[in-house]
Amino acid sequence: MAYSAEAFQNEFLALGATEVNAIVTVTSSGAEGGRRTGGASEIIIVDCSGSMQAEGRMAAARQAAKAAVGCIDDGVHFAIVAGVSTAQQLYPAPGQLAVSTPETRAQATSAIDRLQANGGTAIGAWLKLAHQLLAQRPGDIAHAILLTDGENGEYKGYLESVLQEIGGSFTCDCRGVGTNWTVSELRKVANAMLGTVDIVARPEDLAASFTQMMTTAMGKTNGDVQLKVWTPVNATVRFVKQVEPQVADLTGKRTEDGPRTGRYPLGAWGAESRDYHICVDVPPGAAGDEMLAARVSVVEGENVLTQSLVRAVWTDDAALSTRINRQVAHYTGQAELADAIQAGIEARKAGDDRTATLKFGRAAQLAHESGNTATEELLATVVEIDDAATGTVRLKRKVEAADEMALDTRSTKTVRVGRSQ
Amino acid sequence: MSDCPNCPDERAAGAAFCENCGKALATGETLDVGADCASCGSPGSVGDDGYCQNCGMLAGRPRDHVEADAGPVAAAVTDRGLRHHRNEDAMWLAVRGADVDVVVCDGVSSSADPDVASESAAEAAGKALALDAGVADAIREAAEAVAALATTGDPRRLASSPACTIVAARVRDGEAEYGWVGDSRAYWVALETGHAEPLTEDDSWASHAIAMGADPQAAWNDPRAHAITAWLGADAGPVQPRTATLRPDTAGVLVLCSDGLWNYRTEPAAFAETVLACVRENADLVSAARALVAFAVEAGGADNITVALVPLTP
Repeated sequence: MAYSAEAFQNEFLALGATEVNAIVTVTSSGAEGGRRTGGASEIIIVDCSGSMQAEGRMAAARQAAKAAVGCIDDGVHFAIVAGVSTAQQLYPAPGQLAVSTPETRAQATSAIDRLQANGGTAIGAWLKLAHQLLAQRPGDIAHAILLTDGENGEYKGYLESVLQEIGGSFTCDCRGVGTNWTVSELRKVANAMLGTVDIVARPEDLAASFTQMMTTAMGKTNGDVQLKVWTPVNATVRFVKQVEPQVADLTGKRTEDGPRTGRYPLGAWGAESRDYHICVDVPPGAAGDEMLAARVSVVEGENVLTQSLVRAVWTDDAALSTRINRQVAHYTGQAELADAIQAGIEARKAGDDRTATLKFGRAAQLAHESGNTATEELLATVVEIDDAATGTVRLKRKVEAADEMALDTRSTKTVRVGRSQ
Repeated sequence: MSDCPNCPDERAAGAAFCENCGKALATGETLDVGADCASCGSPGSVGDDGYCQNCGMLAGRPRDHVEADAGPVAAAVTDRGLRHHRNEDAMWLAVRGADVDVVVCDGVSSSADPDVASESAAEAAGKALALDAGVADAIREAAEAVAALATTGDPRRLASSPACTIVAARVRDGEAEYGWVGDSRAYWVALETGHAEPLTEDDSWASHAIAMGADPQAAWNDPRAHAITAWLGADAGPVQPRTATLRPDTAGVLVLCSDGLWNYRTEPAAFAETVLACVRENADLVSAARALVAFAVEAGGADNITVALVPLTP
């Protein structure tokens, strides 16, 4: 498989400056012929709580689960979990994983027809069962799809303790159907499990969403890719964030790996490209000094797939040190955009209209400046944008819950900066 | 017998630079994997990529300080100075018997990759001189090499073409043919009288203003003083090197240098005084060149410094 990493930065620092920023773009052309080199396992978790009866959600969920099963490649191990007050394995027999063939997929499809909505929401228990099933096949590319329509009903702190225990052991993409679920809760799950979160407001769109998730999962060729970051003595990593295709802070996921080196989990990789923002504080150097501020490697186990260097060069030439790197500036703005939207939504919920207007205004400005039209359009469903350039907005009196939740879940989606400029 | 560690060319024998492959035979620091770190003192910590595995500092850039020593025939030294983060000057020195080819180039800091421009120019001109081209032709070769850089490698070079100055000399039978583009200079300093003769006239705003009748002091204090009006680069237009020949009638030293040196001695008399002091106080030529560089560093080291010394007798 071919991976490449390229660092974009202004390596020149003013004398006395200590903060080094770089955007590292990691691109993979996927494994040989775009095929997996090892095995893969899939778990589909469908919320079967009582509320799923409403608005034809259960029927749509059945359709979606069937569509997802249809996308599973031959030879992939899989299981289907029915989410009620406990986790119940719907297919195959409890504790087992099926090997995908036309026959097992047909059996799974008829099992899905038996799904009934009657029970509670216990996301922690569902994830725990998925973890137990996937643990049977270490080394597989492990992925799960989680569908829910409500708030978690488990006692406070249980879900957090489960995420603490199993976080990062498999990738979990989360989807909320309808508007009675909590964005922050599913985001927490997606962040811990290195997956995505999104709203499917209309049940009839579920099948398309499941198909897309499963197709993407089947395209993954490497299961557990990590970013390994070396920094010099007396330097500290301020943050490591994924900034494209969406913002995800990896700083807290660091595990130490030898002197001055830490690893950050990136999850599964296929043929794709992602950008990471790395910020390191280093001891200041003298004019002309050149320091390696970070050596960033993409690794799978002990195998180094690619490497890129983040440098610091001190100069008293202000023309060099004040130069702004487009990539760094762009993604700093995209991260601020996500923060501003989430702060705006929180303030609006708390009834603090003044703060909400300020935050949404800043968000509109950032989205407009950076050409993030998707986010700008989502913002326009929550506020009237009078002048995006100056960030002049008015809160809408009546906002659809689904619109606000879509803005919230998709606030972290970023756009890529033009490389040529 | 070859003296060049990089290629088996005999012409390299006795040359400070191999005339065939252009690699320096006499250089300054080289990358020393596994050496102790000069910054933090960690033993054996310099890694494969040249950075200390403990403190991250770069162990050394080969171009930061380079010396070329051709014994009593010629010597040249280039140094990063104090304020610039890298050495954007480059030089070429090759000798065969009493024949000398010498080139000094200074990268234009505001252009993209000026260090590559100066290195390419020095090498192209040096190689042309080695093949017995005249100085004007050698400078034109250098101009073509630098102009070609704009369309290779980093796309930023298209927006701001790599550029540099050049001053070159070709010494044959005690005569020196020399030529230049930009504000790198050549001087003739007579040993006995201490008389200094500027051989070049800068292609710079100040020189043009003075030539048009402006007050020299006012011209040199103008912010535009050092803006060069001719250079090598894709955006330079047709390059017309100015050339002349020096036939000394007394013993002296031909000095080629970048503005990192002459900026601290703008008056020819003061320049000659410093050159003579360095030549007299040092036993050999390369030490004298090193002393001139040290003088510029102590005076502030605001720019990269390159100086080449070629003694001539009638």
